[in-house]
Amino acid sequence: MSYFLPHLPSGWHVDQAILSEDDRVVVIRFGKDSDPNCMVMDETLYNISESVANFAVVYLCDNTLVPDFNKMYELYDDTTVMFFYRNKHIMIDLGTGNNNKINWPMDNKQEMIDIIETVYRGASKGRGLVVSPKDYSTRYKY
Amino acid sequence: MATRANPLKNNASKFAFLTMHPPPGYVAGLGRGASGFTTRSDIGPAREAGSMEDPASDLHSNANSKEIEPEQFQDPENETGLFAGTVYDRDDEEADKIYDMIDDKMDERRRAKREAAEKKSQEAHLAANPKIQTQFSDLKRSLAHVSEEEWGALPEAGSLTGKRRKNNTRNDGKSYVVPDSVLAGAREKNELSSSVDDDAGVATPASSGNTTDFREIGQARDKSLSLRLDQLSGASGSGSASTSAGTPSSTQSSNDSSTFTPSTSNATGTSTSVDPKGYLSGLNSVQLKSDAEIGDIKKARALLESVIKTNPKHAPGWIAAGRVEEVAGRQAVARKVIAAGCDNCPKSEDVWLEAARLNIPQDAKVILANAISHLPQSVKIWLKAVDLENDPKSKRRVLRKAIEYIPNSVRLWKEAVNMEDDPQDALILLARATELIPSSVELWLALARLETPENAKKIINKARKTIPTSHEIWIAAARLQEQVGASSNDIDKLVNNGVGSLRSSGALLSREQWLKEAERVEQEGSPLTCAAIVKATIHHEIEDEDKYAVWMDDADSLEDRGSIETARAVIAFALKVFPERSKLWRRAAELEKQHGNRNTLTDILKTATQNCPKAEVLWLMLAKEHWLGGDVDSARQVLGDAFNANPSSEAVWLAAVKLEAENNEIKNARMLLNKARLQSSTERIWMKSAVFERQHGNSIEALKCVNEALTKFPTFDKLYMIKVGLLDGNVDGGGDDNGSRSNNKEIRDTFAAALKKCPQSPTLWILSSRFEEKMGVIIRSRALLEKGRLINKNCDILWAEAIRVEERANAGNQAKGLLSKALQECQTSGLLWSIAIWMEPRPSRKTKSVDALRKVTDDPTIIVTVARMLWMEGKKDKARSWLSKSCKADPDNGDHWAWWYKFELQDGTQENAQNVLESAKQAEPHHGEIWQSVIKDDANIGKAYNVLIKQTASKLS
Repeated sequence: MSYFLPHLPSGWHVDQAILSEDDRVVVIRFGKDSDPNCMVMDETLYNISESVANFAVVYLCDNTLVPDFNKMYELYDDTTVMFFYRNKHIMIDLGTGNNNKINWPMDNKQEMIDIIETVYRGASKGRGLVVSPKDYSTRYKY
Repeated sequence: MATRANPLKNNASKFAFLTMHPPPGYVAGLGRGASGFTTRSDIGPAREAGSMEDPASDLHSNANSKEIEPEQFQDPENETGLFAGTVYDRDDEEADKIYDMIDDKMDERRRAKREAAEKKSQEAHLAANPKIQTQFSDLKRSLAHVSEEEWGALPEAGSLTGKRRKNNTRNDGKSYVVPDSVLAGAREKNELSSSVDDDAGVATPASSGNTTDFREIGQARDKSLSLRLDQLSGASGSGSASTSAGTPSSTQSSNDSSTFTPSTSNATGTSTSVDPKGYLSGLNSVQLKSDAEIGDIKKARALLESVIKTNPKHAPGWIAAGRVEEVAGRQAVARKVIAAGCDNCPKSEDVWLEAARLNIPQDAKVILANAISHLPQSVKIWLKAVDLENDPKSKRRVLRKAIEYIPNSVRLWKEAVNMEDDPQDALILLARATELIPSSVELWLALARLETPENAKKIINKARKTIPTSHEIWIAAARLQEQVGASSNDIDKLVNNGVGSLRSSGALLSREQWLKEAERVEQEGSPLTCAAIVKATIHHEIEDEDKYAVWMDDADSLEDRGSIETARAVIAFALKVFPERSKLWRRAAELEKQHGNRNTLTDILKTATQNCPKAEVLWLMLAKEHWLGGDVDSARQVLGDAFNANPSSEAVWLAAVKLEAENNEIKNARMLLNKARLQSSTERIWMKSAVFERQHGNSIEALKCVNEALTKFPTFDKLYMIKVGLLDGNVDGGGDDNGSRSNNKEIRDTFAAALKKCPQSPTLWILSSRFEEKMGVIIRSRALLEKGRLINKNCDILWAEAIRVEERANAGNQAKGLLSKALQECQTSGLLWSIAIWMEPRPSRKTKSVDALRKVTDDPTIIVTVARMLWMEGKKDKARSWLSKSCKADPDNGDHWAWWYKFELQDGTQENAQNVLESAKQAEPHHGEIWQSVIKDDANIGKAYNVLIKQTASKLS
């Protein structure tokens, strides 16, 4: 886990975090802080959080402590990253078949930045679904 | 680390939530309305965005959610488990058995204890949350003791739904206009209650205290309306100007100011009656005075001021400006404006007239004098000046002066002549006028009218020479001749000359125009001139082959317009051209019958019979006229002549017989009939003789006659009918059973023979069916009608009779079935449709009748049915109009007339009823089911139509 990224300790905090932003993408990582895959993801997110600070904000949420969204957002993976913009869940076509979230650890910082930027561009134009700059259908194996 | 932009530090208040505690019982996702998604059904139910359970249980939900649901890890594609695909063999069966046994054993252990515990917990649960049913059970039991009265006195539950809305309207302070119907109804109600109030007031508290007095409201309304009417009848004098003030362009284009003068004169007169023109303009003026319009006046004033400034030579602008001021009630300013207008546009007569109108008469005179110095040639200004003078003398003086200035204005001359009291002075004036304006026909005619006949002739001759193209002068000449007493030949010659000279001088009138002239002349009371015009011009412009049709059309339209003389002349001329056309003669006779007297009619008919001796109708008409005039001998004479002309005409024979019979010369009649049978042995004569015998009580002779006739004409259905009637009459006469039975047999035989000989006669079928029905053999009558329908397709009377047979036999369902079949076969039968309408229950009759009217648009039977329905609903006016419609559509049907009479008798006035009788008498109806049964009744022979109609009406149901 990253101690430098803000944690959301309850469902209410998650909701407030999503609602508090007007013109930035809210990136929330759900997962177990102690999971190794999750740690990889956290590391990437921490490293890019400064570079995307102008158009995105990153939060972490341990879904073993905050299980409120497990059913709603189908949080059954080690790590899950979801995007919100103005209280709207922004979907992204990653080529994996699940457009709702990134549910594998990403270790490439530039790819992550690109994805967040794409989400921001699409969402600020009013899109609900954006297409990822890179196709992950072959990279990530279930 | 320090360089990193911590979102928490960027905006402290924005991220304050991170340090705050969540509210207790918060349901995640609910606050922002989040919704989940389902990507794969195997990883669990999604979309459970914030559940609505109570927060207390939500705390437990954390623990609960840990529980694994049995279905959760089920593979969706392989539903029944790992071994579902394997075969179920004996080993499996045995294993199952053993497992079941173990289950049973386990179940057996501590069963009693377990069941007791279960029962106990269930009871505890029931005690904790009992059913509503059990909660009220004691109360329910006591319902048995509720008495009938208590039950009846229970208040209605009432609807709570409308309450909120009602409160709203009250709170809004809105009010609505009460419709007149409510006011009227309430007023009546009020009247009633005021009379009852004294003794029953306590019992009806609602009507006594707080209710609004609708009568007072109504009176107030009336009063305010009458006030307004008074106001506008007073204000319409000035209001008429305001109508044109709004549209200056209208006055600009209209050259004569007389367009608004009549409206003022109308309105200033009596204030009791409101004329439409004054009313409208009055309304306008009332509106202008209201607050909202003042702004408009200001705007109009500013607008017109700018018009005046930019284009001071534009007269309508000045006039409009003056009128706006006048409407605003500022007379002085208006006068000033119009005076400036006069200065600016001295050549516009409208401005001068407006100025004169706005000022008082004395000033107006001065203004007009001024105007005349600028515009000496304006007739209007001169006439206005004449109007302003009070006494005739000064008026005359002004007129003379005007004529000096404008000697060639017909209008001025006419005014001047009208002003003269002494005919001699008028004559002199007119003579001078005609010298100065020789082209005015009006003046010439006026002069001729004033002169003595001899001089008039001279004047007209002179006029004719000066204006050779005027047909009016020729007509005037002809009329003059007629007044003097010239013969019609002279007038004809004169008119002929006139038409010729007009043609030579190139002034051609079309035929229609000439006919119009003729009509006008007729209205002015010169029938000879009218006839002469028609004679001279009617044959113009038509091809020979069209002549007859065009003339008939002319005569028809002229008669419709009420120009009888002209129509007569047209027909007379046509008769001269086509003396051999019997139809034309009949037309002439009809015209005379309607509009002339008996003498002219008989004259026409006499000449007609001379010209067309072969036309029996004309002979018969003539004879009838003589007879109606009480001159039986000459009627006989006419019929004798008719015999000579048409020796073997059955119509003439029958007319002669009728004449004798109606005059009670039975012997003569019988002799005539005998002769007729010998000379022209037609079926009708035979039938008439049989009927004659029967009517005069000689039934044996009649029967003999019928039998003889039947040998001659076996296919004439009416003879059979008479025979049956005779036989039937004998049954009623002869009382003994034996005879009647043989008679019945004979009747049946007759019917059988008749139906074999003439199966195409529906009446025969119906009669035979009725006979069977009377005998009580309904089966046979049904069979007969069925057969009849087979032979005569699409015959609605047969269908109707069949339906009635069923109805009389109280077989309503069968009747309905038959009716629907009948309507399929004869879709456009009014009779069947009306039966269908009456068979419907009352509420659905209306829709049925609409259907019927759509299918059968103008069948009189349907119209009568609809009228009767309207009558039953109490819509009398409508019923009356429908009845009259039906009688107009089929004046030959006595039933309709009878219905109408009955209606007027019961719900109309006596006068109307009498009128109906009169028109029925004129129509001389022959058909109609009940009507025929009435007129053919032996007891009713020789009765007048009104008696018959009355009888029919009493039989209707």
